[in-house]
Amino acid sequence: MKKIPLILLSLIMIPAVQADELPDTQTELVSVPKLASQTYLKPRPLNAIPDGEFGDKVRKGYELFVNTQQLRGKYVGNELNCSNCHMDAGRKANASPLWAAYFAYPAYRKKNDKVNSFEERIQGCFTYSMNGKAPASGSAELVALSAYSYWLGMGGVMDMAKLDSPVPAISDALLLQGGKLADFPIPEKVKSMMTIDELAKLPGKGFPLVPKPPLAYSPVRGEKVYQAHCQSCHGADGLGYETAGVYSLPPLWGPDSFNWGAGMHRVNTAASFIYENMPFGKSIQLTAQEAWDVAAYVNSHERPQDPRYKGDVSKLMTKYHKHQGYYGQAVDGSPILGSHSYAINPKGE
Amino acid sequence: MMKLKIITLASLVLSFSVLADVPPSAAVCAGCHGQQGQGVEPLGPRLAGLPASYIEKQINLFQTGQRQNPTMQSMSMMVQGDAINQVAEYFAAMDVPLVKPHFRGEKADYPDATERLVYQGDWDRVIPACVTCHGPSGLGVGEFPRLAGQQASYIKSQLLAWQSGTRKGDLDGVMHNIATKLTPSEIDALSQYFATLK
Repeated sequence: MKKIPLILLSLIMIPAVQADELPDTQTELVSVPKLASQTYLKPRPLNAIPDGEFGDKVRKGYELFVNTQQLRGKYVGNELNCSNCHMDAGRKANASPLWAAYFAYPAYRKKNDKVNSFEERIQGCFTYSMNGKAPASGSAELVALSAYSYWLGMGGVMDMAKLDSPVPAISDALLLQGGKLADFPIPEKVKSMMTIDELAKLPGKGFPLVPKPPLAYSPVRGEKVYQAHCQSCHGADGLGYETAGVYSLPPLWGPDSFNWGAGMHRVNTAASFIYENMPFGKSIQLTAQEAWDVAAYVNSHERPQDPRYKGDVSKLMTKYHKHQGYYGQAVDGSPILGSHSYAINPKGE
Repeated sequence: MMKLKIITLASLVLSFSVLADVPPSAAVCAGCHGQQGQGVEPLGPRLAGLPASYIEKQINLFQTGQRQNPTMQSMSMMVQGDAINQVAEYFAAMDVPLVKPHFRGEKADYPDATERLVYQGDWDRVIPACVTCHGPSGLGVGEFPRLAGQQASYIKSQLLAWQSGTRKGDLDGVMHNIATKLTPSEIDALSQYFATLK
């Protein structure tokens, strides 16, 4: 019998926190500063996805990732698609690429002594970023999204190791765990090139850390930045633009954007994303100060409620919002943010 | 019953004649852009169905020289004041042929390199998919004009204008940035693709 990986064992042995408590799967990723000399993993082109059962899962994952709206009302409760923030369908370095995230899970977190699998991380995206409902563990959607992420990551590291064979198909159960397992099937040539820990920290993971701003960030200054650089795509009201039912220019706040539990509501996370990835198709066009300020402006508007809300904004704020964000605060004379939030998963079944 | 039919017919005729009536301020445009803004290749591109705000902005850009075109430089000056909005609203309200939108994520593999650029972009060169800003099948979104069914010669001339800088007015130079990365053959292929999109 195969040895059960230690990390899996701990998964089995630690009971779920409390059944009624949503897991905090959108905790801050550790961002590292960008290095000029960095080279990044290059995922294989999408036409290299193999035929057959495994390839079908990978393709399905791509399709769900780019057109997440096909799950609207079922698992998605806003107008976003995964690819709105994960540029180039999760393939672009420094825009939280799937290939880097895949090898970083399961991730053990000291803070609450819990291990998050890759599947749980994606479930968190549905609960928070997509303001919807997480697909059940092991569901076809989670398998597909995991398969796509695995294929991008494994194909990329195999190419780095000069292995041009197809990415090996693995079981659904393994796909859902993520690549940071002691005995995850990794080709020998890749293993001799990189350790599991190195794989979990591939350059280009997450968003690179935006430099600290000279002044404390300010939504008031941010409004000016927004008007000058963001509004033509995202609208003066932040609600984005739609054509043929698709918000290709996504809403940044309001009822159809990510909710108060999503990682992007944190000013520092949004600032890092914006600094590196906006305006679209360009990079590092704003000063660090402008990126922080505009992130503060975007995130000082009302959006759908934090799904962990149980009727008391200030309690939730104390418990989950001790970070750089505006939940539970009044900004510029506005009502307390969180007190007039929009519905969670409004069209949910 | 008969009466009803006559009324319907009469109102149809009436509404058609109202539609066909080019406001005097737009008459100057109709010569090159067509009575209904359907476009007259190669004189003038199609204006029908473009957002009024977009048309207004373009008139302004021609007037201020941010869009350089010898004909439009002088023609745009003939539309001033309230007429700018009238013209824009008139052409914006005109019908455009229906295009069945193709949505991103309908498939992963686009064997055709042009379709790949349109629906997935080429991020190795940091070229986003055209449809991210121009909407599914390039139907137009907000300030980003409709490309579907526009004349190929016009799309090509505009991509070249974005490259050379004779067309400006894009925020932070986003379109200039993309256009400069396109090769001449990609520009030809993209222009043909959108012009013939059904």
